Amino acid sequence: MSPLLAIAAVELRRFLRDRSNIFFVFIFPLMLILLLGSQFGAGSGQGKVAIAGPESGLASALAAELRSAGVAVTASGADAARADLSRGRTDVALFLDEADGQAYEAGRTAELGVVMASQSSAQAVLQQVRTAVQAVSLGRGQLAALAGAGVPEANARQALDRAAAQTAVPTVEIVDTNEVTRAFRGLGRFDLGAAQQVLLFVFLSSLTGAVTLIQGRRFGVVGRVMSAPVSSGQVVAGQALGRFAIAAVQGGFIMAGTALLFGVEWGNLWLSALVLVLFCAVSAAAAMIIGSVIDHDSAAAGVGVGGGLVLGGLGGCMVPPEFFPDTLAAISYATPHRWAYDALAAIQRRGGTLGDILPQLGVLAAMAAALLLLGAWLLRRSLNRAL
Amino acid sequence: MLAVHSLTKRFGELTAVDGVSFHIRAGETYGLLGPNGAGKTTIISMVAGLIPANDGTVHVAGRPMTPAGTEAKRTIGLVPQELAIYPDLTARENLLFFGRLQGITGKELTRRADEVLELIGLADRAGDLTKKYSGGMKRRLNIGIGLLHRPGLLILDEPTVGVDPQSRNAILESVERLSVEGMAVLYTTHYMEEAERLCDRIAIIDEGRIQAEGTRDELITLTGGVDRINLRGGGSMARAAEALRALPAVRRVDSDGTGLLLTVSDGPTALAGIVTGAGHAGMSVTSVEVVRPDLESVFLHLTGKALRD
Repeated sequence: MSPLLAIAAVELRRFLRDRSNIFFVFIFPLMLILLLGSQFGAGSGQGKVAIAGPESGLASALAAELRSAGVAVTASGADAARADLSRGRTDVALFLDEADGQAYEAGRTAELGVVMASQSSAQAVLQQVRTAVQAVSLGRGQLAALAGAGVPEANARQALDRAAAQTAVPTVEIVDTNEVTRAFRGLGRFDLGAAQQVLLFVFLSSLTGAVTLIQGRRFGVVGRVMSAPVSSGQVVAGQALGRFAIAAVQGGFIMAGTALLFGVEWGNLWLSALVLVLFCAVSAAAAMIIGSVIDHDSAAAGVGVGGGLVLGGLGGCMVPPEFFPDTLAAISYATPHRWAYDALAAIQRRGGTLGDILPQLGVLAAMAAALLLLGAWLLRRSLNRAL
Repeated sequence: MLAVHSLTKRFGELTAVDGVSFHIRAGETYGLLGPNGAGKTTIISMVAGLIPANDGTVHVAGRPMTPAGTEAKRTIGLVPQELAIYPDLTARENLLFFGRLQGITGKELTRRADEVLELIGLADRAGDLTKKYSGGMKRRLNIGIGLLHRPGLLILDEPTVGVDPQSRNAILESVERLSVEGMAVLYTTHYMEEAERLCDRIAIIDEGRIQAEGTRDELITLTGGVDRINLRGGGSMARAAEALRALPAVRRVDSDGTGLLLTVSDGPTALAGIVTGAGHAGMSVTSVEVVRPDLESVFLHLTGKALRD
């Protein structure tokens, strides 16, 4: 193993050996992605209806109609449905009893109990429930009319099904003119959170990991390393590679972990990985700068956490930049996060190609090169200072 | 093995090392003895190629040593004054890492790491994180890392600072053994006893300059080869002083009010006559102390200040 690789490997080993790092680098980001996806991810706005009561043809027909309209339906007892309503777990509960089922089968009028939850989304779901009830009622009415005209029920059902299949139903295509809404189209529940958090945590962990550079000087290890037959260029390159390895291991883990655990779609994996590699290079270089100009562990950790969060927030890793006002959106392009976010968005949401993300890759590469040069210069100075 | 010629280092207006020259042969232990701030560590830093000299040259095994001098660096093993180890790695991992920097790889590296762990008595704790080690164990590992690649010249910068007596003795024994095995050792210390015990030759250094150099005995002759005898007691000290000045071995007699301080040649031989003479002159002697010259005396003689000032 060359000295360069030995230095990089020992930096990675020391980083991974810190148990607190294991939690904050590998476990915490996944927990956060899970939480964000559950709370705010796409699909979290899906209406929920609980149907309480015994199984019946009416309950089945309503459930099928609601599901076809994209509503999540659960069957439960009356008490459980009330509990779900009170805790906001469902938007609307339908209370059916045996008499309702019998009335439906007999083609008579049934009175259904409907309770709506207090959350704002419940109103829209209630409307979907009304529509479903009307559809079921209409279908049942048609069946009853045919049966009344002497058509056997089985034949009547077949005739209605055939008529439905042959009839050209007018469709309505809804075109969303809201740019923000359109920007998130095609995203899975966890996709956005995963893209944001991988950038936030890779950068954050890299900056806080700069502490090991300071420790190397403080422990006197730098002097011993420089007394070995290695050039200062090899030491600087080894440190840079170590920083990069730390960032890449974490980024790769989050990407693979979210894909496997949460089904996150990263689009073209090679392109997403390329974006991540460049972003890791920027993060590594930023860590070299922090670790070179600061001489105290606690100060570096503070700057790392603070800087990482601020830049992450500005770059769209907390609130999606699509919601930013114009000025803030313009400022966000000063951060590497924003360029990486845009590149990942193009790949994940729009199937972007290499050509589509070339501008973002170019900016990230330029940032990495500039910061690496500055970081290498500062690190070399800090090594001399340590001697 | 090491040739240092007119080495000079300036930090701004301060000249930390001023024209220092010395050489060390293979199998020789050479000591740099001086107080803190004398310039010992700066000399070590230049000899190890950590910092450039403003003037002068350093050659290790015939190769010029500079910060970029990787060939010369292969020949040295540096044991810095600080504990230059990673506390969050095990002893074995520390050895393997620094071994790789020396270009040792594979089974050879593993074998040498095992050897060093045995040598420094840490084989049974090789897998423990070094932050769990005692101060003495860390010091031993610090030295072991310097030995891993079997350097021709081992540079030890105050290796026993902050070490308990038992570990200190173990370290000194290790250095003695290395010298016997033919390794050249450059040893800096401000402990006179260590320099006397270990070093074949010693340079007394102060304010960046070598004040004197030689074997222990050669340095002691610089004091004139005189001993000091302190007589404590009462009675007629003035008459006793007068009588003692007449003795041929006595060169000087001073009184501090509570006793007499004599400078004599060959104190042990002259002691009986001095005590008898003082008694005959009317002094009641209650205690006698003979102080033989040591490196502390030499340093005092050369610089006018104590070694630990």
